[in-house]
Amino acid sequence: MSAEGEGHTVHTYDGIQEYDNPLPGWWTALFWGTIVFSLLYWLYFHFGVPGRSTLDGYQAAVAENLRLQFAELGELQPTRETLLKYKDDPKWLPVGESVYKTNCVSCHGTAGEGKVGPNLCDDNWKNVKVIEDIAKVIGQGAGGRAMPAWANRLHPNELVLVSAYVASLRGTNPPPPVRPAEGPAIFPWE
Amino acid sequence: MSVAVATDDRSPLTEGRSTSHGFEEFRYDDAIVRAFATVTLVWGLVAMLVGLIVAHQLTVPALNFGLDFTAFGRLRPLHTNAAIFAFAGNAVFAAVYYSTQRLCKARMWSDALSWLHFWGWQLIIVLAAVTLPLGITQSKEYAELEWPIDLLIAVVWVGFFGVNFFMTLATRRERHLYVALWFYIATIVTVALLHVFNNLVVPVGLLKSYPIYAGVQDAFMQWWYGHNAVAFFLTTPFLGLMYYFLPKAANRPVYSYRLSIIHFWSIVFIYIWAGPHHLHYTAIPEWCSTLGMLFSVMLWMPSWGGMINGLLTLRGAWRSVTADPVLKFFVVGITFYGMATFEGPLLSVKSVNALSHYTDWTIAHVHSGALGWNGMMTFGMLYWLLPRIYQTKLWSQRLAEWHFWVGTIGILLYIVPIYVAGLTQGLMWRAIDARGQLMYPDFVETVRVLAPLYWLRIGGGLLFFVGTGMLGVNFLMTWLSRPKTYEDPVYSAPVLSRDFVDPPMPQSKLDGVLDVAKKLDVWETFHWHRRWERLPIRFTVWVAIAVVVASLFEMIPTFLIRSNVPTIASVKPYTPLELAGRDLYIANGCYNCHSQMIRPILAETKRYGEFSKPGEFVYDHPFQWGSRRIGPDLAREGGRQSSLWHVVHFRNPTQLIPGSIMPAYPSFEQTELNFKSIQDRVNAAAFLGAPYGEELTRAEEMAKEQAAEIAAEIEKQQGPSGLGDKQVVALVAYLQRLGVDLMTPATPPASEQSAVTQPLAMDR
Repeated sequence: MSAEGEGHTVHTYDGIQEYDNPLPGWWTALFWGTIVFSLLYWLYFHFGVPGRSTLDGYQAAVAENLRLQFAELGELQPTRETLLKYKDDPKWLPVGESVYKTNCVSCHGTAGEGKVGPNLCDDNWKNVKVIEDIAKVIGQGAGGRAMPAWANRLHPNELVLVSAYVASLRGTNPPPPVRPAEGPAIFPWE
Repeated sequence: MSVAVATDDRSPLTEGRSTSHGFEEFRYDDAIVRAFATVTLVWGLVAMLVGLIVAHQLTVPALNFGLDFTAFGRLRPLHTNAAIFAFAGNAVFAAVYYSTQRLCKARMWSDALSWLHFWGWQLIIVLAAVTLPLGITQSKEYAELEWPIDLLIAVVWVGFFGVNFFMTLATRRERHLYVALWFYIATIVTVALLHVFNNLVVPVGLLKSYPIYAGVQDAFMQWWYGHNAVAFFLTTPFLGLMYYFLPKAANRPVYSYRLSIIHFWSIVFIYIWAGPHHLHYTAIPEWCSTLGMLFSVMLWMPSWGGMINGLLTLRGAWRSVTADPVLKFFVVGITFYGMATFEGPLLSVKSVNALSHYTDWTIAHVHSGALGWNGMMTFGMLYWLLPRIYQTKLWSQRLAEWHFWVGTIGILLYIVPIYVAGLTQGLMWRAIDARGQLMYPDFVETVRVLAPLYWLRIGGGLLFFVGTGMLGVNFLMTWLSRPKTYEDPVYSAPVLSRDFVDPPMPQSKLDGVLDVAKKLDVWETFHWHRRWERLPIRFTVWVAIAVVVASLFEMIPTFLIRSNVPTIASVKPYTPLELAGRDLYIANGCYNCHSQMIRPILAETKRYGEFSKPGEFVYDHPFQWGSRRIGPDLAREGGRQSSLWHVVHFRNPTQLIPGSIMPAYPSFEQTELNFKSIQDRVNAAAFLGAPYGEELTRAEEMAKEQAAEIAAEIEKQQGPSGLGDKQVVALVAYLQRLGVDLMTPATPPASEQSAVTQPLAMDR
C-alpha cells in the first residue's frame, strides 16, 4: 500500500496485516497537553496555598450563604415578639418554608395537614400552649422521640424562621386527607 | 477433510532468522466458540429483560410486587452482573477462544480446561441469579457475589481460563503476539488482581462476609476494582476483539502498529489510577481524588488511540460499511467507545462530577458504553462469526440490517432522556434561590419530574431488546441450516524453533545530532517492543508491573498514612441490633438507591446536614456510600424521623411521601429477625477491630433488649405492637443510628474537636 504513502510493517497474523502509520499530530499534542495540564493542576491545588482546597471552597460558600440569608437579620432569638413578627413577614417567611419543606413534610405533610406527625393547621396542639413553645418543641423534640430534636441540625435563625412558618400554618385549610385534631384547643397566637 | 496451510509467513526472510524445522498439523476448536456465542445471546436477552423490569419499577413502584426478592434493590445488581459478566463476559470468551487459536496457529492447549471454563462460568452466573434476589450480597457494586462464589470465580478465571490461555501462548506456532493478544493478557492478569484484592473478606458463615477494609479504605478498594472492571473487563478485551474481528471483517490492514503499542501501554498504566474519580468530594483524601481526576484526563488520548486505530482501519473500506451490517455494528460500537471515553474524563473533572455524581447522568454514560460499545461490538462479532462457526450462510442479512437500525435507535432513545434526567436531577438538587434557600427542598419533587423521561428510557430499552431478539431469530435460523457434521479442517504450520535471532538493531539515519537523539530515533522504531512480542512471559510480567506499581502508588498512602482517616472519639461501633439491621440494609440493596455520603457542597449540606467525615466510617465493613440518589441521602438519617415513621414508611412509602418510587417492604413487619446469627456477626466485627466489650458474650440478649425498647417506643407513638422480634426494629435501630455519633452532645475531648473541624485538612 505504499501507493498511499503509508509505512508498512511486514507483520501478518491470520491474514491480518498492519500499517505502521505515524501517530496523528493532534493526538500526540493532546496527549502531551493533558499531561502538562495535570502537572499544572497538581501544582496549583496541592502546593499548600491556602484557600484552594475543597474544604476552603466549601467554607467560603457557607459563609457567603449565611451572609445572604442572615446578614440583615442578625441573630434571632425564639421569643414571642420575634415569632409573631416573622410569622407575617412576607420576605422571611419563605426561608422558614424552605426549612419546613426540607425537613418536616414527611411527617407533617406539605401543607401541614399532618401524617405520622400532628396536624399543624388546626387549633389543637399537643405540646404547645403559646407561640414560643413551637421553637422549644422543634429544638428539643417531644413525645419521647416521636418529634425529633432539631437544635443541633439547624442554624438558630433557621429554627426561629421555621417556627414562625409553622405558626403561620395555623388557620389554613389544607386539602384532605387531614389528620384529625389532637390535644387541647389553645388560644390564638399573641 | 481439507488440509490448509495456515502460513503466509514472510517473517523468516524479513524478520529475524531461524533454521528450518518440521511442520505440525492441528485443528481449531470451534465447538467452544459455538458454546460461548450461544450463551452470550441467551444471557444477553436475560440481562436486558431484567434491565427492562428494573426500569419499569422506577416508573411504577407496584412492579416491585411487595416481595423482598423482586424489589429494585435486589434486581438491579442482577441486571448489572448479568450484563457485565454474563453477556459481555461470554462475548469476550467467544472472541478470545476464536481469535487466540488463529493468532497462535494452535488449538487451545486443553479442551478439558476450555469446557471447565465454560461450565464453571455458567455455574457462576446461575449462582448469581439465585443468590442476588435472595439478598446474599457483599453490596460492592459489580462485586456483589459472596465469598464462596468469589472463590469459584478465582478458580475458573485463573485456573481454567488463565492457564489454558497462557499455555496456548506457550505452545503457539506464530512467533510474535498480535496486539489483540496483548489486550487479552492485560485482561486476564488485571481482572485476577482486582477480583482477589477487592474481595478479601472475613466470612460470617457460608453466605455472609465482611470485607477486611472499612469505610474510606473499603470505598477506595471498591472503586479501584469497580473502575478497572470497566477498564479490564469491558474495555481491554473488547479492544482485543476489535483488533481481530474488525480488520478481518473489513479485510483491511490495521492503521498503525506504533499507535497500538503506545495506546496499549498507556491504557494499561494510566487506567489503574483513575478509580478515585468515583469518589470525588467524598471522605477520601483530596490528593487521592485529584490523582483520580488527572489520570482520567490523561486517559482520554490513550482511549482514543484505540478508536482511531479502529476507525482509520476502515479508510478505503467505507463503501463496504454501507453494505455490510457487521461493519456497521463495529463503526457504531467504536464511535460509542470514543464518545464514552471522552465523557469519562469529562465526568471525572471534579467540578463536573459535583453536578453529575449520584445522578442518572452516570447511568446514561454507562449505557452508552455498555449498549453502544460492548453491545454493538458483540453483535458485530456474532454476525461475523455465525456463518463461520456454523459453516453456513447467515440466515438473513436483512434482519441483521434491521437489528442494527432498531438497536442504534434504541440506544439513542435510551441515553438521551437519561442524560436529560441526570442533568435535571443535578440542577434541581443544587438550585439555590436569591435568598440562599434550596429551590426544591422536598426531595420527592426532584423524583416526580423524571417520570416521563423514565418512560422514554423504557421505550429505548425495549427497542434494544427487540433488536437483540432479532439476533436471536437469526442465530436460531442460521443454526438450523448448519451442516449435519461440521467440517474440521486440518491446518499445518512450522514449529517455532528455539534458535530465533532478532533482526539487527536499526541504525539511526539522523546525522549531526546528539547521541541521545539518535538513541531516541532508534527507540522510536519499537524494535525492542517487537522483541517483547515474541516473549510472552516477559510481556506479561511488564503488564503486571505496570498495573501493580500504579496501584501501589495510591494504595500505600491510603492505607498507611493515618491522617487520611482522622479518628473521631465519639464514633462508636454499632450495637448488635444495629449491626443486624445494617446487614438487612445491605441484603435488601438499599445502597442501590440511597447514598450515605454527604459531600462538602453547600446545597448538599443544606439538604442533608453536616458533610460526612472519614472518621465516621471506621466500623463500616463494607462501606455504604452508594453511587446514586434515586432516593435521598441517608448519612444523617438518625433522629430525623420518629421510629414509627420508619415503620409506616417501610409498609407503604407513598402514604407518607406521595410520588415516592421506593418499593414497599411490608414483610419487614412480619418476618422474624434472626437473633441467633447476631453473635457471629458481632464476633466477626470484633475480629475486624470493633472494640466490643460485653457484646462479645451476650450480643443476642443485648439485641433483644434494644429491640424491646424500640418496639415499646413505636407502640408509644401509637404504632403497631409486637414488633420486638421483627426485622423492622433492627432496620429502625440502624437508621436511627446513622450519622448521629458526630453530633452526640456528650462532652467531647479536645482531640475530637479538631478532628471534627478539620476533617479534610489532610494533604498539607
